[in-house]
Amino acid sequence: MGTNIGVYYHVHTSKSFFTLKAEVPKENPRLKTLIDIHPGALFHELEVTDLIGVVFEGNEFHGHFVLSENWPDGFYPLRKDVDPSKVKLVPTPEREANKAAEGRQVKIIIGPQHPALFEPAKFSVTVDGEIVTNVEPRIGYAHRGIEKTTESRTYMQDIYLVERVCGICNPCHAYGLVGAVEKILKPDVPERARYLRVIALELNRIHSHLLVLGHAGLEIGYETIFQYFWRDREPIIDLVELTSGNRIYSSLITIGGVRRDITPEHIPKIKSVIADLRTKLPFYRKIYNDEPTLRLRMKGIGTLSREDALKLSVSGPVARGSAVDMDIRKDLPYEAYGEIPFKEIVYTDGDTWSRMNVRLDEVEESINIINYALDHLPSGPIRVEVARSIPVGEAVCSLEAPRGELFYYVRSNGTDRPDRVKIRTPTFANIPAFLKTAIGESIADVPSNFASLDPCFSCTDR
Amino acid sequence: MIPMIDFLLIFRILVFPGFTFIFFLALFCEWIERKLEARIQNRVGPMVAGPSGILQPLADIIKLMTKEDIEPRDTKKWVFRLAPLTAFAIMVFAMCFLPIDGASVLSSGTAIASSGFNGDLIIILVFATIANFLLFLAGWASSNPYGTISSARVLTQFLGYDIPLFILALTPAFIAGSLSIGAIAAGFPYILLAPWAFVLFLITMQAELEKGPFDVPHSESELVGGLETEYTGAKLAFLHLTRDVQLVFGSALVVTLFLGGPSGPVFFGLDWLFYTLWFVLKLLIVVAISAYITNVFARLRIDQVLTGNWKILLPASLLSLMLTVVLAIWVYHPFGIGV
Repeated sequence: MGTNIGVYYHVHTSKSFFTLKAEVPKENPRLKTLIDIHPGALFHELEVTDLIGVVFEGNEFHGHFVLSENWPDGFYPLRKDVDPSKVKLVPTPEREANKAAEGRQVKIIIGPQHPALFEPAKFSVTVDGEIVTNVEPRIGYAHRGIEKTTESRTYMQDIYLVERVCGICNPCHAYGLVGAVEKILKPDVPERARYLRVIALELNRIHSHLLVLGHAGLEIGYETIFQYFWRDREPIIDLVELTSGNRIYSSLITIGGVRRDITPEHIPKIKSVIADLRTKLPFYRKIYNDEPTLRLRMKGIGTLSREDALKLSVSGPVARGSAVDMDIRKDLPYEAYGEIPFKEIVYTDGDTWSRMNVRLDEVEESINIINYALDHLPSGPIRVEVARSIPVGEAVCSLEAPRGELFYYVRSNGTDRPDRVKIRTPTFANIPAFLKTAIGESIADVPSNFASLDPCFSCTDR
Repeated sequence: MIPMIDFLLIFRILVFPGFTFIFFLALFCEWIERKLEARIQNRVGPMVAGPSGILQPLADIIKLMTKEDIEPRDTKKWVFRLAPLTAFAIMVFAMCFLPIDGASVLSSGTAIASSGFNGDLIIILVFATIANFLLFLAGWASSNPYGTISSARVLTQFLGYDIPLFILALTPAFIAGSLSIGAIAAGFPYILLAPWAFVLFLITMQAELEKGPFDVPHSESELVGGLETEYTGAKLAFLHLTRDVQLVFGSALVVTLFLGGPSGPVFFGLDWLFYTLWFVLKLLIVVAISAYITNVFARLRIDQVLTGNWKILLPASLLSLMLTVVLAIWVYHPFGIGV
């Protein structure tokens, strides 16, 4: 309700983390853009312009970036003084259709509903024959206003809400919020809970990686490998059910610990299932290395150089596939990761094949991590009681989700509800990489290139 | 003079081994293919309709026939309506030239060798090309961007692969010294005399049938339903049937040219029964090989498919023809092999 808007730039360099703060008057919120210094800021600035109304000079956008097309101009939903009852929706503009662009070029609209996309997003791809010359993204079709909704619920309710940001990596979102809140509250989280959290996050990483490895097979017309990966993913989901009680939305991680313990009877069962998965990995590695048609479709496709990867601030397996050794579990260890030995997987080619191989190798590392955590599981309680109200403060939590770095910023105001929750999801950071690598390649490579980012639009839109 | 009505010929064309038999053989092959594909992919495949889901393809066709038939406003109406039906009819007609029960459908039951006429091999290859062209028209007339791109790919692909297909089909014809399907089928299992040509022919057939790894016109991740995108109801059913008959036709051609057609031991004097049995069994082997190839490879890109054709398959098929000519004239024919 103040007269100024604070603009925070959270910067994560190779081994350190800092925040730049700027303030702009609410009357005329304008700032100079950062994209000429750091092109990776492009999407983030556009999102802030759309949701809060801070205009970044040099990076203006016509229309809406995240909000619906019939949302009126001048209403910025994330501002505190916005009155939802005053919002008058404008008529929806005419839908864009496939049409001829300049000269020989044709504009093909991929999405919002398209078999290659399992979630709604739109890419207007301009092609010259079969070669892509331009890609314009439009996200926001699954925007549910979760950041705003968190402000009207208690922290305990918010954990369940942020899990709904993304079905696949839901424990990561739960941990993102919990981790940030715990940095303000500083409860004494038991050792055992810290290991159980690692197990939950790693099980999640395994099943998410298996999912995208199969999905990439589907995108290059390799249905057999799709069916195989998804078959092997089922037992892992059964393990999630065994350890948390739910197959998908585990709701395991909570402020002050975890909700459910792993009993001694569970341990042999978990170990046998992941040992079984480990025996299947050499077969998949063989397919990825030796299968000629798969190599034809993945090698040298969507190549992202190390310089571009750094410039566009991509994260997760996309960055590690481009020789950027960036893994939050190693760089800023959270929970028990600092005590568990594991390898950071880095491939140097930067193409679709490297990104998928990073994931394949990470499945094996995750199996090692779970085995280590089960062997070294400390005894003791799994949870401490915490206060419902969180003292005034602000904190960030950054963690390595299966798709890349997931970032949470929480500001509390002393009540049991947060003042502001900001979620930056990995796909949001990785889409610019796709926009860059798709240009100049065949339209037939667009789906597999895009699938190699492991895109998640319900994350991106929130 | 009252013209004689050849009831046997009418029965042969309409029931066995003509239309009805080919129709059910096509559905049976689709079932085999789906079942094999499912087992390769560690699934179970069709299970519900009939024992082990054997009636599933028929159930699918009946279901599609009863569905509403929608024609989008911008389609070229007559082409859109006629193309699927004509393509199906032509494919069935092409099948009629193959010696399914020991003689081609159009002859009334004579020996394998004399059942056709010299040059019918060329005719059925042309029919297959026309059917492909009609499929191209079907997609083109639907005025849908996905259908149009898919059609363009169908055209580029079969134009390219028709050339090696024709050249390779000449290999057994040259050894047999005849362009008559009957004479080739009655001759020798030419796979033994020209195994390299058999392998090349299988690959070319896979591309001609637009099956994996050459299924670029149907790549659903880019093209949604491909040329079938705008089709519904009975027209879609006929497109699916055309695909099934094409599969049977392609496999039957491989059987006829390289695996000795319907030849095999005959017992109890029931030559038509055993000829049909051997023909269908050999056909199923080819269908199984084709399903296997489809499922162990990823889909190639259209430029890779074309490069494969012009840079590898075409020179290879020419080499194969040269090798065949040399072997046939100086080795096989002097010793009386395969004639």
